[in-house]
Amino acid sequence: MQIAGLKYGTKLLELVEFPVARCRDGSATLNEIQEMLDRYGKLVVKPFFYGGVGKKAKAGLIRFVDNLTDAIRAREELSFITHTWGAKTLRASGVTFEEFVPSEIEVYFSITSSSLKRKPIFTITPWGGIDVEEVPPDKKREVWIDTFIGIKSFDLTNNLNDLNCPEEYISPLVQHLPKLWTLYDNYGLTTIEINPMRMKKTGNTLIPVACDLRAAFDQDSHAWRRLELPSVTFQTDITPFESEINRLRTYQGQSDVLELNPAGTIIPFMFGGGANTAATESLGEKAIFASDFGGNPPYEKMYNVSRIVFKHWYGKANTLLIIGGKANNTDIYVTFKGIFDALRDHVAAHGKKPLFTVIGRGGPNLVQGMFYAKDILDRLGLPYRMFGHDTSMIAVIEYAKKIDAWWTETGRKEFTDKLEAPHAA
Amino acid sequence: MRQLATKPFPFFVGLYSLEELVTRDSRVCVINILGNESRKVTPVSHEYSKGNVVAGVQYGRRGILETRIGDIPVYRSIRDVNKHGHAFDIGVVYLPPAAVSQAVWELVTYNKDLKRIVIVTEKVPVRDTLNVRYICQDAGVDVIGCNCLGVANAWDHVRVGGALGGDKPEETLQKGSIAIHSNSGNFTTTIATYLQTAGFGISTAVSSGKDVYIHFAAPEFLYAAQNDPRTKAAVLYVEPGGYYEKQALDWIIERKFSFNKPIVACVTGRWKKEIARPCGHAGAMAGSGDDAESKERWFDSYFGVPAFDPENPKVSKKGVRVTSIQHIPAAMAEVYRKLDEKPDFQPRGDLSLKPWLEDKLVKLPHSLQIPVMKAVPPYDTQIQEISRQVGANYLRRNMRNKSGATRMNPATQVAEMHGKTVLELSRNSFEENLYFSIGQIMPDKADLRRMNLLLSGFLRTGDNRMPAAEAARRNDATPNAVVAAEIAAVGNHPMLEKVRAISVNLLDLIREYQISDESTPLSKELDRQIPKLFLSKEKPGNNAFEEALQKEIRTSTKLKPPFRLCRHILETAEGKGQGIKDRLEFLLAAFGLCLFWNPMLGKRIPRQAVEDSISYIYLVARISAVCAMRRGKNPHWEKLSDPEGPYSHPDFTDSLFRLLFGRKPGESDLTELKYLLGLTLTNGPGTLSAKGAKESVSARNAVSMAFVGFLSNTGLAHGGNGFEAVEYLLDRFEPAGLEDPGDAKKKPDLKALANQAAKEYGKYKREAKTLGLLEYKRIPCINHPVFKGNDINIDPREDFVRKELEARGVTNVFLDFYHHLVKELFDEGVTENVFCVNVDAVLAVIALKLIWPEFRKGLWPRREIQDLVFVLFLLGRSIGSTAEIIDHRSRGQDMDCRTPQSEVAFVL
Repeated sequence: MQIAGLKYGTKLLELVEFPVARCRDGSATLNEIQEMLDRYGKLVVKPFFYGGVGKKAKAGLIRFVDNLTDAIRAREELSFITHTWGAKTLRASGVTFEEFVPSEIEVYFSITSSSLKRKPIFTITPWGGIDVEEVPPDKKREVWIDTFIGIKSFDLTNNLNDLNCPEEYISPLVQHLPKLWTLYDNYGLTTIEINPMRMKKTGNTLIPVACDLRAAFDQDSHAWRRLELPSVTFQTDITPFESEINRLRTYQGQSDVLELNPAGTIIPFMFGGGANTAATESLGEKAIFASDFGGNPPYEKMYNVSRIVFKHWYGKANTLLIIGGKANNTDIYVTFKGIFDALRDHVAAHGKKPLFTVIGRGGPNLVQGMFYAKDILDRLGLPYRMFGHDTSMIAVIEYAKKIDAWWTETGRKEFTDKLEAPHAA
Repeated sequence: MRQLATKPFPFFVGLYSLEELVTRDSRVCVINILGNESRKVTPVSHEYSKGNVVAGVQYGRRGILETRIGDIPVYRSIRDVNKHGHAFDIGVVYLPPAAVSQAVWELVTYNKDLKRIVIVTEKVPVRDTLNVRYICQDAGVDVIGCNCLGVANAWDHVRVGGALGGDKPEETLQKGSIAIHSNSGNFTTTIATYLQTAGFGISTAVSSGKDVYIHFAAPEFLYAAQNDPRTKAAVLYVEPGGYYEKQALDWIIERKFSFNKPIVACVTGRWKKEIARPCGHAGAMAGSGDDAESKERWFDSYFGVPAFDPENPKVSKKGVRVTSIQHIPAAMAEVYRKLDEKPDFQPRGDLSLKPWLEDKLVKLPHSLQIPVMKAVPPYDTQIQEISRQVGANYLRRNMRNKSGATRMNPATQVAEMHGKTVLELSRNSFEENLYFSIGQIMPDKADLRRMNLLLSGFLRTGDNRMPAAEAARRNDATPNAVVAAEIAAVGNHPMLEKVRAISVNLLDLIREYQISDESTPLSKELDRQIPKLFLSKEKPGNNAFEEALQKEIRTSTKLKPPFRLCRHILETAEGKGQGIKDRLEFLLAAFGLCLFWNPMLGKRIPRQAVEDSISYIYLVARISAVCAMRRGKNPHWEKLSDPEGPYSHPDFTDSLFRLLFGRKPGESDLTELKYLLGLTLTNGPGTLSAKGAKESVSARNAVSMAFVGFLSNTGLAHGGNGFEAVEYLLDRFEPAGLEDPGDAKKKPDLKALANQAAKEYGKYKREAKTLGLLEYKRIPCINHPVFKGNDINIDPREDFVRKELEARGVTNVFLDFYHHLVKELFDEGVTENVFCVNVDAVLAVIALKLIWPEFRKGLWPRREIQDLVFVLFLLGRSIGSTAEIIDHRSRGQDMDCRTPQSEVAFVL
């Protein structure tokens, strides 16, 4: 749930009247680009990526242009360029043309959550323009924010003074930066980072101007929906499968999924945040997605979650893994009924394909739940192994991986051949 | 603002020792105590903790929460709790996310003695969590959570907050020397269970939650663990995100507080650094320096040894990091050995692979084939017990005005039964739909043959003199009352009762001896049971019905388990030269089980519905028998009344047609009868007929009385009103001398007839309005409360049937007339737009067309036509009612259809 760049960042900053470099997207006409060049002298052309993509400058993806020919060339080069950031390689979805703001200094400013202070903090350095991790500790400051007051002007003044920020910049920064707390606090943000912020001279006045922005949103807060960002904004964050499951998101029972490897072979129903973390780690690339369906989901929710899971992955997977520790309050019978009713209905509607089920689970109504699963799997003629909580959860996952490997390699074919053999009828 | 800070922390921490976190003396107040989760979890916590919950809050309500050790009083607010003199020092919050910070504020505002708050709620927005922290830091209150399962003290037998240890906390929370702090609620107890395999119990377990902010994190926990004399070692389960553990280890190294107890730490979630948004725990998102690898390094550096390797175990006195929670017991045992400490008790069980259940379909390679092992008690006996159960199990709940069988689709206004519209179902035969109403899937050919056999058999099985029905008829009862009288007299018929009992026996044997439809040999123990359960020394002769049933069983191929067992019992009896006890009932029970075997095993229908299936089929057959029209002059009825007559009538719908219309049907006649019966199957659970059936079930009546409930809730306004349309059409067409309403070539001038009718009605309507008559008569079967307001209106249900009939080349002059009529009414200015011809018209026009030849001959008086139309409705609706009765019996509760006092009113 992140955005980066000024294409949508401008909308956020304008809400609190924070100065931002003028920006047009790649659909700008030649006249419009020329107008910007006439007005600002120089433009910054950046590729635009959906999601919270950073380190574009480091990757050499930013162009500074002062004429139309270069601007057009930059647009051609960058519009579909790929960028590897973290584990992801993304393709650009166009470019932005941004006003170049001449400035003697570049300020880094962010508001984030601090687990050390157990509070939100702001981080500031007037020696920014590079990754904040590369700024030496004595050149930056982290200051906690009183959540009921916001960013205090004297905190900014004192810390900028301590950081030897040139005097003329302090007052404009102190005037404008507290606005960012209003944005952070009122629109469901968990992080806002402006880097660089350049100091624009207008007459005798200096104004801090945001020249890039990265923001992360709290998916449990409804406040960011007030921004009415187009749904496409988070398209790299959310796949169609995730989006469909997300519609079932309520506080009663978890329904978190994260698509990991659509080419994986194991459908993992994981119960509990711990199981999600540990099981995904153990399954590696075999897991089609990571999930947490714990928190005692009601039947209807579990059925619908499972219906969507089977709709997307039943045809592609080899193994169904249902894994969790000894549940505290999740009713195993209810959750298994939801899963296996959905499996039965999916097979009834779309036909059967060989799927091996491995279950490792404990908790209330465990045996009832296992037998519910058993009866349906028996009826569907699908193989399974079920383990209780007296078996290590991780050992079950390792076992499921071995089953999956065997099933993929030979077991599945042997099973299908046996079913199709004439004497089987 | 200056915030509280308690040394050695830079913020407020109220707890000194884990021993004090929750104790026998803790007193708890639970907010939203009657919420879905709390009302299940709180009683278990309260009982395990020997009564530590003094009160609960349910905003705006008062009441109690029952527990085995006494009721917990419930109040409207914390102020209300105080007013009633309940003192507490711990608050537990179970509210939805948006209300959490408000509740915390209320707790600290109204309780100066509050020490701790446990917040179970997940998905609390970060902003609200910050407010919670601010409020509690200011008030000097420790917070556990959000998104946690609370805390437990195994020494004092106390748990507070969520459901640590589930519904049997004593199984998991064994007294011992290990303190657990886990980012995962489930792993808190999973780790506690695993530790028992190496002989370790727990002192205190803390489920910290793993939101962006953890309020009771590793530093506070380790500080309190050090000060706890019961705790000898700690287990930390850690996920990526946040610097809590680094802070704790740094402070220990910097001697900000002393800590000299060993730790076994498990860090998982390396993969989480690759993700852009959280999955599962909201706070398990890694930045650049707090990913899993970084956390692993912090711990490895602190311990001074690499991660634990079970093959080559090396630990330090400070402890060790494990890569998986399954290694925690071994690592802890090794740490204890290193410190020359003894475990808390003898190891219990082990964590090796122990399958409880397996299929018999595939042979796994040797390396993967692990034999099924007996589960740990009490699960072993549960497995034994539950292996006998079969069929769907629904959660029982109040089913008043609710149905899992039928509904009126609000978007299309077309009623559905088990997910199929009445339009689709109206293409099927009566027996197909009856099967579907019970089994929720369509029958295959063999099932259909068996349904026909049963229905035909049951037409003769009862007392076809029908004294109750005849008495009702003599007293001029309406058709529904006539049928109800006869069905009420069925009561709990001994035959049906015996069928049910035998079904139970057969089903138990099939489950117990795992009789499958494959050719596996039957158990010898089963053979020993058969004589005493089913055989009899007496060998009475077969009647024709029994012979037909036996023939079907003996000649069936691809035997389902009930037929397989039944055939085996029949052969055993023959082999021993003995008879079968209650032979008819025995055969019927096998039929019922066999018919609905697949939907039952597929968990579509409950076992009870299968055991009762013969009752449903019998009752619907008996309703059909009572509905037979003009029985004294009906040759088909004459034939059926002969108990020794043939049982081979292959098509019950055909039979039904003959019973109703007294003649052999043509192909289009049967098609039209199917539409008639199909369209009236159901109109959803809100109809009077469905409510009658449901209310009867709710009063715990026998199945037959539930049908009486449906029948008695029909009447001249519900089911009998179709005659108004028939009468209207008779008035139009009798004088016109119509010969055959199905003959497209000899249609009268329908436009002229319709125009005349429109003019007459327009005149009548104008006069009525002049006289100020508000309740003037409407033309039946036109207009609809939903399908109206357009220039030309169409009822999609009527449109569907009309097009279907057209496609089959079936003409119905009456229906065509109706379409002319709505147009002429508009053209004559009588209506504002072209009204729709509604679905009730379909019923009227088909019924009238089917009876027209006899009516023209003067064989059917108008009164009997009125009865016929009513009877057709009853037959169709009996199928929908079957589904409704089964559904309510499976899901509902006694008395659930009662109207609460708050909803009833006295009027003057």
